Amino acid sequence: MSKLLLVDDDAELSAMLEQILTKEGYQLTLAADGEIGLRRALSGSYDLILLDVMLPGIDGFQLLQHLRQQARSTPVIMLTARGDDDDRVAGLELGADDYLPKPFNPKELLARIKALLRRTPNTSVTPELIDYAGFFINPVDNEVRVDETPLDLTPTEFDILRTLVQAAGHVVSKNQLSVAALGRQLAPFDRSLDVHISNIRKKIAVDPERIQTVRGRGYRLLKLA
Amino acid sequence: MGTRWYQSLSLRLLLMFWALLFAVASSGYVLGLWFSKPAEPTPVPEDVYNSLTPLLSDSATFQSLSPGRLLAGNYRVAATVAPTGPERLQLDATLATRHQRLLIRQLEAESAQQLPVSNFMLLGPFRQGDASILLTRPLNDAERQQQVLSEQQAQEAQTLALLIGSGLIAILLGVWLVRPLRQLTYAMRDIARGGDVPDLKRLPQRNDELGELARAMHTTAHDLTVSRDAQRRLLSDVSHELRSPLARMQVALMLSHDEDEQANNPHVAQLNRDLDRLGAIIERILSLSRLENGLVHLSTTELDTRELAEQLVADLTYVDAGHGSRVKVLPEAPARGDWPVIYSDAELLRLVLENLVRNALQYSGGPVELSCQRQDHEYIIAIRDHGEGVPKEQLKKLFMPFFRGDPSRHHKAGVGLGLALSLRAAKVLGGSVEARNHPDGGLEVCVKLPVEEPTESD
Repeated sequence: MSKLLLVDDDAELSAMLEQILTKEGYQLTLAADGEIGLRRALSGSYDLILLDVMLPGIDGFQLLQHLRQQARSTPVIMLTARGDDDDRVAGLELGADDYLPKPFNPKELLARIKALLRRTPNTSVTPELIDYAGFFINPVDNEVRVDETPLDLTPTEFDILRTLVQAAGHVVSKNQLSVAALGRQLAPFDRSLDVHISNIRKKIAVDPERIQTVRGRGYRLLKLA
Repeated sequence: MGTRWYQSLSLRLLLMFWALLFAVASSGYVLGLWFSKPAEPTPVPEDVYNSLTPLLSDSATFQSLSPGRLLAGNYRVAATVAPTGPERLQLDATLATRHQRLLIRQLEAESAQQLPVSNFMLLGPFRQGDASILLTRPLNDAERQQQVLSEQQAQEAQTLALLIGSGLIAILLGVWLVRPLRQLTYAMRDIARGGDVPDLKRLPQRNDELGELARAMHTTAHDLTVSRDAQRRLLSDVSHELRSPLARMQVALMLSHDEDEQANNPHVAQLNRDLDRLGAIIERILSLSRLENGLVHLSTTELDTRELAEQLVADLTYVDAGHGSRVKVLPEAPARGDWPVIYSDAELLRLVLENLVRNALQYSGGPVELSCQRQDHEYIIAIRDHGEGVPKEQLKKLFMPFFRGDPSRHHKAGVGLGLALSLRAAKVLGGSVEARNHPDGGLEVCVKLPVEEPTESD
């Protein structure tokens, strides 16, 4: 049974979501403000965190930042009622795996939760080691090295990079990457994939442009000259 | 705080111009002196000396000569120095007024010289014992011409020097005045573009009117930033307050009915639709208000407009295959130059086109065609449907929020904000949107976008 943490100060919504998620077989823990949420999240025993942005105490962004600074790669779905494009991107840049603007269809939320949980590390599909163009990936230990330097990636970033490395220099379309990493088709106006890619680029110290944008087609890895 | 009179720009300008005039005038004077310096003396030619010597050899004659007296021919006495006596030095009165120093200097020369002075030639000194005299004679034609020529040259050089000098000073003055104005202009553009408090360098510390203007601009920019932030916060709060109850309603609705009822109960379906609709309305009102208040940050990139249009069609097809298959990007075989690659904000341009295409799909049953052409300094993207068109008097109103051409189709239609959003977004991109009835039937909406020229700054 997967354990979820929902950090949201909207008690009524939380109670209803708890009913729905429990019915779907998840074990849900609630946290009504940022500090409690952070403490629980740092305890590390959750498979996925649902995180509202506007929270009393520390807000969702700060919570996420703390969480990622402690090198916790628990998958995070941001729930935001502000819905400003800038807000959505801000969450992803801080290392959220996905976002869902409020109001959302609960079925959509369930679908996203399933998609993120499906590809948790131990259920990885390709157990063999792969490497291409200086990227080395060990799917079993969730280990990534670039030019022998280990990279610390979130699960979503890991899946994106693994898909790119597997393609061995061929172009991978944005939709393929979205399906592989986020478990869903690329939706119109969805910038989350681009933000994840730019996060990965930031983490690659030497020559981040090795992940090349092929305009209108997708992304691919470049072999270093 | 006002500007004190002694710090005012007008006083400064007055002083600057006065200083400029003074500098030019005095340099002119100095140049004049420089060029009107008398020519160098030359020894008296031997023949002249020889012809004059006999006249001057007799000491009685010599001593009887007095200034102003005609000696012989054209030669006139200009000055005498007697060996003794109370008034040893005597000068020609008319010459002495203007050339006294010249005469005395010439009298002290060691040997006889000649020197052209204004319109005569000064010769001497001729000596006998301790006495000496100076003579003058009118210039002959050649000498006169020489004199005129050198004066002319001096004048030309003087004029040229004055022109260059005053020009340089005027340029300095212009730069001094124009530089701060240009800084202010850039700052103003910065503010208009929605930047924060602009960098005015040291301008606000000036004590004159320009400093005052810079300070006023700084304050305005600061106020604008504050009110923009307040606006942004308000939008975000309103958005939060409206969306949270909607989110609860949606979840509650799902909880209150099981799956079969969700699918089959028309009332539940209606509630679901209206919840979606409310969500969409809030979303669009917020977008519209963000656009109108300049809260949208443009991220301009190189983008292929045909690709954008085709992606849009693909997305529409993904959402609703029946809808998507009605939209065509023309011409069907891509040709060079019809759909250009431009510098623009992809998301905003997409927002413009998506709303227009959705609108066309909603209000007409037939195909919807997208095409693009270049006209002078604009790209025109046309979205044409094959519906009934719109009465002429309503064409302009189409772009007003919540306007619907036909009230009877109220329910089928969207939320009534799509076209208003398109127009606003197009304006943010520097373009415009216009609707017209196509001569062959159907409504045609044209998005005009400027051909992006290289920008002048940053």
